[in-house]
Amino acid sequence: MRTLRAQAFRVGTWGAAASLVGWTLAAYAQSLSSAGDLPDWSGAWTRSTGQFYESTPEQALEAPPPADSPRRRPPYTPKFAALYEQNLALIAADRFPDPISICGTPAGWPRMLALPDAYEFVIRPEQTWLLSENGPNVVRIYTDGRTHPKPEDMWATYTGNNVGHWEKGELVFHSIGLKGAPATILGRNGVVMSDRLETTTRIRQIAPDRLLVTVVLADPEALTRPWPVAFTYARLPPGSTVYDYACAENNRNPITSDGRTLTLDPSGEVIDKLE
Amino acid sequence: MSSRASKTHCMSVGFATALIVGAASHAAVAHHSTAMFEPEKRVTLSGTITDFQWTNPHAWIQVTVAGADGKPTAWSFECGSPNTLSRQGWKPSTLKPGDAVMIVANPMKDGTSAGLMYTVTLADGRVLGPGAQVAAQPPASPPAR
Repeated sequence: MRTLRAQAFRVGTWGAAASLVGWTLAAYAQSLSSAGDLPDWSGAWTRSTGQFYESTPEQALEAPPPADSPRRRPPYTPKFAALYEQNLALIAADRFPDPISICGTPAGWPRMLALPDAYEFVIRPEQTWLLSENGPNVVRIYTDGRTHPKPEDMWATYTGNNVGHWEKGELVFHSIGLKGAPATILGRNGVVMSDRLETTTRIRQIAPDRLLVTVVLADPEALTRPWPVAFTYARLPPGSTVYDYACAENNRNPITSDGRTLTLDPSGEVIDKLE
Repeated sequence: MSSRASKTHCMSVGFATALIVGAASHAAVAHHSTAMFEPEKRVTLSGTITDFQWTNPHAWIQVTVAGADGKPTAWSFECGSPNTLSRQGWKPSTLKPGDAVMIVANPMKDGTSAGLMYTVTLADGRVLGPGAQVAAQPPASPPAR
């Protein structure tokens, strides 16, 4: 009996092990199969067109709208229209503070779509990482079927909570839990959103070395209607290297408490002629 | 090199004399507001490199320029990040102390001896900087779909 029991245990153990191996292999095979359906966005990319102005996918391929175009002005609620006017006045007076100028916080989502320098994509079936060299910024986009956390389990972060899926090679994801103004801005053009901002983003390849990114911003506190923006990105030459970006290494442009950007000489002395 | 830059290239070596009105801004590279720079003006200066700071978030070029009165003046020129510069053909060794250069830059509004670098012409005639990139670009056309 003891022998039979031991034999049964061994069989059961091996069976379980075999099942585990089988399940693991199946999951791995499924993973490979899924990975094979995913696009190749390897290498480094840089933004070709787009800023935070209203733009359809077709308009993203055209020249930017003129400075006085209504497309430059988000469809703001009265509260945010007033805030925007205030920001424009601060810009005119060189007193509009840019949070990233202090070299301490990320640009955040969705502003990181409009940065200089390079971008990278790391694509796995269960998750995609969008990396910006400038900042740096890392956006984690979960595509493993999860949903957003419950509101009580969330707090505002710079890059938010991002969940999505793939549609025939197009990455589609929804973002919530974002910090709003004044912690983040969308650009030095004075455009800001609230911490109730939600975005729906679609990224697809429109040519071998070209990506189109469309983002629809919805913000019940800041916007009267969803506001679409679009960007295109070009792949950098093969073998391009992406570097770190230690913003605090030699920041010679500190910001005063009233939002003015200063310039320092090599010894750290302010060289601006302060009134 | 753009026609404007070509004109400035032919200028005599010495203190800045060129003010080019209508120049396009290249503020997008900065990690901060560029309101301190004149977006519509450019100055051309010739001088000697004293230091080249290959650092983030911006590289800086330090140049000694002989003023109109002959006295040397220290100038600071802000550039893009090393990451951006490297993709435009720059290296940490591109500029060395003692090198003679001609720099085109958007000057500070308040007259301070500093500016936002547009082009740098090296002693061997090479021209680097955002201005050189603009000149090298083909006519704008929409990307293929």
